[in-house]
Formats: sequence, structure tokens, C-alpha cells
Amino acid sequence: MDDFQSGEETAFVVDEVTNIIKEAVEGAIGGNGYQHNKVNQWTSNVVEQCLNQLTKLGKPFKYIVTCVIMQKNGAGLHTASSCFWDNSTDGSCTVRWENKTMFCIVSVFGLAI
Amino acid sequence: MEIVYVYTKKRAEFGRQCNFSDRAAELHVDIAPDDHALEDFIERDPVDIGIQCVQEMSEHDANTERFETGARGINHTEGGWPKDINPHEVEQVTRYRKKVEKDEMYISAVLQLGTSMEHCIKQNNAIDIYEEYFEDVNAETIDEAASAKTINVFRDPNEIKRTATHISWFPDGPRKLAVAYCNLQFQSTSPDTSMDSYIWDVENPNKPETTLKPVSPLVCLEYNPKDSHILLGGCYNGQIAYWDTRKGSQPVELTPIEQSHRDPAYKTVWIQSKTGTECFSTSTDGQVLWWDIRKMGEPTDKMYLDKKQEFANAQGAYCLEYEPTMPTKFMTGTEQGNIISCNRKAKTPLDKIAATFTGHIGPVYALQRNPHFTKNFLSIGDWCARIWSEDIRESSIMWTKQYSSYLTDGCWSPIRPAVFFLTKMDGTLDVWDIIFKQNNPTLTLQVCDVPLYSLRVQEQGKLVAAGSQDGTTTLLELSEGLYSMARNEKNLVTAMFERETRREKILDARHREIRLKERGKTEGSKGEGGRRGSQDPQAEGEEGEKAAEEEEQYQEEDLYAKAEKEFFSIIEAEKKKQPTPSQDFSEVEKQDELEGKEEKHVDIFSSGYPSRPETTTDENEIAGASAKEAESSFSGEEEGEGNNTESVPPDNEESGVTEVAAEEPKEAEG
Repeated sequence: MDDFQSGEETAFVVDEVTNIIKEAVEGAIGGNGYQHNKVNQWTSNVVEQCLNQLTKLGKPFKYIVTCVIMQKNGAGLHTASSCFWDNSTDGSCTVRWENKTMFCIVSVFGLAI
Repeated sequence: MEIVYVYTKKRAEFGRQCNFSDRAAELHVDIAPDDHALEDFIERDPVDIGIQCVQEMSEHDANTERFETGARGINHTEGGWPKDINPHEVEQVTRYRKKVEKDEMYISAVLQLGTSMEHCIKQNNAIDIYEEYFEDVNAETIDEAASAKTINVFRDPNEIKRTATHISWFPDGPRKLAVAYCNLQFQSTSPDTSMDSYIWDVENPNKPETTLKPVSPLVCLEYNPKDSHILLGGCYNGQIAYWDTRKGSQPVELTPIEQSHRDPAYKTVWIQSKTGTECFSTSTDGQVLWWDIRKMGEPTDKMYLDKKQEFANAQGAYCLEYEPTMPTKFMTGTEQGNIISCNRKAKTPLDKIAATFTGHIGPVYALQRNPHFTKNFLSIGDWCARIWSEDIRESSIMWTKQYSSYLTDGCWSPIRPAVFFLTKMDGTLDVWDIIFKQNNPTLTLQVCDVPLYSLRVQEQGKLVAAGSQDGTTTLLELSEGLYSMARNEKNLVTAMFERETRREKILDARHREIRLKERGKTEGSKGEGGRRGSQDPQAEGEEGEKAAEEEEQYQEEDLYAKAEKEFFSIIEAEKKKQPTPSQDFSEVEKQDELEGKEEKHVDIFSSGYPSRPETTTDENEIAGASAKEAESSFSGEEEGEGNNTESVPPDNEESGVTEVAAEEPKEAEG
């Protein structure tokens, strides 16, 4: 099995992951407005939900999930990343989600074993 | 030899081949600042945040068991009686008792109860539940030896030293000391001598606190007990002055010289009065003057220390004794060694002198009533100190040994009735405790090498100040035993004084008896009286306690007898010559006076031969005066003599004398 990994099964499929993220964010935050004392709860809910769904895919990957929630008060936000990995298998996916009061940026890095 | 060992593993067994490469930096999010969003954003101001800054407390309940208290009264009444018997009605009680005693069970019941009753009584007797333990333990057992230590020495700051003649303690606590300085040696005062006297702070011997500047050196100085700012001083020139320490060093007022004493005013005393301004003074000129410091222009009252109030015959006095509890009475000690007890408010001038106590053979320098027993007083004169009882005028009841040096001052302890202090010319201070030792002082202190002249004890009895001839005043602190009264001390001292008074009375009565017997003998067989000295066996039988003193008195007796004999022989001779010219009698009087036994002879004269026609007025006066004294003390003898034709009652002596005087010219005519 190790020797015969099909391309579709072992690759990091960005669309698939994007859906997972979006679902997780909607599930955790939904239509709530920004509430300072809830933010902690939301971020941890988002990353845990994502990771759950990713592992359920059953692919031989390590995952790194980050989540940033920012109140929409007019301030700018810029994040970047760079990686040293196997470009053929590994991949990353970032989703920017927003509602009226906040931004939620979730990044997932998938590293093939 | 080289051994090489080679391990081999297939590449495939190492897993997938790593083929890593760098991925270029990738921007994830890029949200630009948005001013519109900012406009939607409303800052919350003020912000309410609740914080807790009080210490956290917790409350817990605990349940303990409750202790119930209650008050119950017990009514103690005589119990055991039936209801219809009132225990207060004697009749009912006795009737009931009889009834019970008749009961046949009575005896056995008593016998039965008896043993248990006995047990209870024995228990009661065995332990006294009300006993007070430690009752007889004396809390203040003082067995340390009497001692005293010098606290401070105050020296006369002047070049030419003067005697510290008088000391007075500040009346409100032992803080200050007023000392009078004066050179008492006759005409030896040089003009350069300072006249100042000083008030010293007890703590500071370097510099006097206040200087008093009198016009003539002060012989005595006395704080007013009611007002501690006022001091009364007696000057060497006889004037009396007073100071108010608030008004400086100069005296506030002085008595005028012509109204003052003519000799140094040796003693001034404040009188207990409402105003606290009255005082009196005495001097060796024989005057006692009363003053009021509000009006110093003239004395408020005046008295001469003579029986007849004659200034010419007055005896000079060195000391005064005044006891506030007896406001009108006072005593003086004279240069002649007499102690004169006076009453200021006597009805007639002649009654002013109530009694005279003779005993000292030199001037009496100090006189003080015992603060606890005012009937007994201490006198200091010649070489011994004497304690007197007011009841006995003939002699003192106690006296100290004859010192080898002259005594200068003395006083009682204000606290202990048995303790008194003496100062002597050899510079020693003696403390006598008559309960502890009668023949020697309890404590002898060599205070300085020059004679001590004055002494004063502080009111609390702890501090003693002694002034010396060279002007040093030494402040001594006594050991505790000398100023704390033992529990039974008062009783012991009372007993001692009473015993000595009784002894002295018995001795006195005995002397009188012997004298009477002797007189009877001389009357019966003239000429034999001279041998009286040999027939004196009673004397040896008398109490031996003060044998030496008695001997002295017996020698006096001998002298009396001898003088009597001579006198009688002269009388006899004159009887034969009758009528005798008056010239002879005055000679007789002179002779008597020379022998100093005037009193004795006059007694016989006035009682035995009352109406002698030859006597002159002059003689009668002398006779009358001494007869008063003689008759009051020897009234018993007169009756015994039998040939007494004129018995004068003691309270009417003066009129008796005048009778004699009145009779005489009439008979002279006849």
C-alpha cells in the first residue's frame, strides 16, 4: 500500500479542505457579532472542528491549523508564510471568512508522511 | 590486521525519498485599513468593570454546649419544728421539748444522732475553714541595721564662713531647703561677712536657688506651712522679716527695731491660723512677741518670760515649741535651763506661765513635743537630752547618758514615735531609738569635723538636714527602718512613757515622804537632822534603774536638809530674840538665796510662821512668789506639820500672799 499511493488519494486537495474550514467557521461563529469574551472559545472551536474533519479524511498527512479572529474596526491585517517541503505532495490552504463585525482567517498546512 | 564490518540495508527500507524544496513566501491575508469600518465602531466610554479589593471573609457557625446558671436563695431559720409550733415562742418550744423528751424513742434517737453529730463537730474543730493564713507574717520585716548615707552637702558659698543656724524644709515635698546663716559668736563678725541666707534645691549643691538678703544676718528661717512662697526669718538684731520668694531677695516687710527683740531673734514659729499669716518669736531678751505679717508695725501680743510678767526679770529663751493641736499653749526653753510652759490666752497675766520644768543645767537649745504623744516632749540642753511628761514637773521621765560633748539641737522623727535625733559639738549626729536601745544611740554618724549646730527632719522622716558651724548643710538619707513605723511601736512607746511617768511619780512621792519624816524629826529634836544622810536605807531599796540619777537627787536632799537645819536654827535664835529687827530677816533671805534653796525655806516660812511681824514688804513679795510654787507641790506636808495656822488653798495663793502683806503692817504697829 505504501508503495502504491494514488495521486488523488494522497494529495492535499485544497477545495476539499476549504469546504471543511468554511463549515467549521460557520458552525463555530455563525451569525454572532464580535464579543471579546467569546473570541477565545470561538478560535479553539474552529481549529478543533477543522482538525476533526481533516483527520476523518483518512489521508496520511500531518496537519497544522491556525485561526485568527479580528474585530472589524478598520485596522489592517497582513499575514504571510513560507515553507520548505515536498512541493509535489504537501500543500496549504487559507480561508478568509468575514461577517459584519469581524474577520476570521484560518490556515491549514498539510504535510504528507 | 584491519577488520571491516559492513552493514547493508536496502534503499526502499528507508521509506520514501525526501525531495524537499523551498516554497516561496505566500501572502495569506491582506486586509487593508478601512475608515468606514472605523466609523461604525463606537468606543465604549466609560467602561464599567467590577473589581473586588476587600479581604475575603468567610463565616462559620459552631455549636457549643450551653452552661445553665441560676440563682437560688436559702432561708436560714431554725428548723425541725412542726408547723403548728412557732420557734420564737418560748412557751410553745419548751412544751414541745418536754413532749419529745418523754417519747420513748427520744433517748435512742439522741444516742444514734450523737455519734454523727460528734463527728461533724470534730471535723469543724479540726479545720478552721475561716482561718486566715499568713495573718501573723509581717510584710515589712526590717532587720537591716540602721544606717544613713550622705546625699548632698550644701556649702556656704561665701569666703568668710558662717554657721548654718537654722534649717527649714520646703513644706510641699522634699525639694528645697531654706538655711539661715549667721555668725553667732559675740562681736566676732567682721564687716565683710555676707548677710545672705539661701534656699537650696536639694538636687543642686553648686548654686543656691534663691538668695535672701536681710538687713542683719538671719538666725532662724521658717517656711510658712500654708504658703510655700512665704518665709519668716528672725534677724541677729532682733527684727523679724518675711520674704515672698515671688517678690525677690529683699524682705517684703520688717518689724521696726524699737518694737522688735533686743537680742537675736532665736526662734520664730508660724501659728496655725485661718489666714496663715500669724507667727510668734522669742529671743534671749525674754520676750515672746506675736506678729501678723499683714501688719508688721507692732506685735499683736507680747509676753515676758517671768512669772510676774516683769521684763527686768524675764528669762531669755533659745527655743520655742508650738503644737498646732494646742493653739494657745506653747513652751519655751530658756538660757537658765528651764522649760516654761505658757498659755497665751490666760485670763490674768500671772496665769500666762502655766508650769516650769527644771532639769537642764545649761541653756535649752531645742524643745519639741512628740508628734504622736503631745503630752511628752523632748528637750536638748547641756550634755543630755531629756524626755518629759507634762504631768511631772519635778524631773524628766527619761534622759540620755551624759555626753562628753555639748548638745546643740535635736528633734523627734515625724513618723516613728520612738526615734529622735541629736546633734553635738563634736560634729556627730545621734539617732536614738528608745524602743531598741535606751542606754546608747542606735546610730552615731560623724557628719563633719566641726560642731553641728542645727538639725531638721523632713516631714516624711526619710531625709535629715544638719547644719554645721562652718556653714555646710549635710543632707542625709536614713535607712528604711528609721522612718517606717513598726506595727506595735505606738503601743510600746505609750507603755514606756507611762511606765516611766509612773516610776517618776513613785519616786517623787517617796522623796516627799522622806523629807516629811526628816522634818518631823528636826521639829522634834533639833540638831539631829544633820545626820539624816546616814539613815538612808530606803534609797538603796528604790528602783535601781537610774541609780546614779537618784544618788544625785539624794545629794540634793542632803543639801536641802542641811539648809533646813541652818534655817531652823536661825529661826529659833530669832524666836528667842523676839521681836527681831527686820534687818536680820533680810539677811536670812540673802543667805537662802545664796544657797539656792529659796523655795524650800519659804515654804516653811510661809506655812509655819505666817504672821511674823518683823517681815518687810520686800521679803514678803519674794516669799509669796515662791510660796505659790511650794505650796502647790508640798501642800501635803503642811497638814502633816500640825502647827500650820494659815493654810492657803492652792488656787488662791496670790490672795494669800497679799493677806500676809496686809497683815504685816498692822501687826508691826501693834
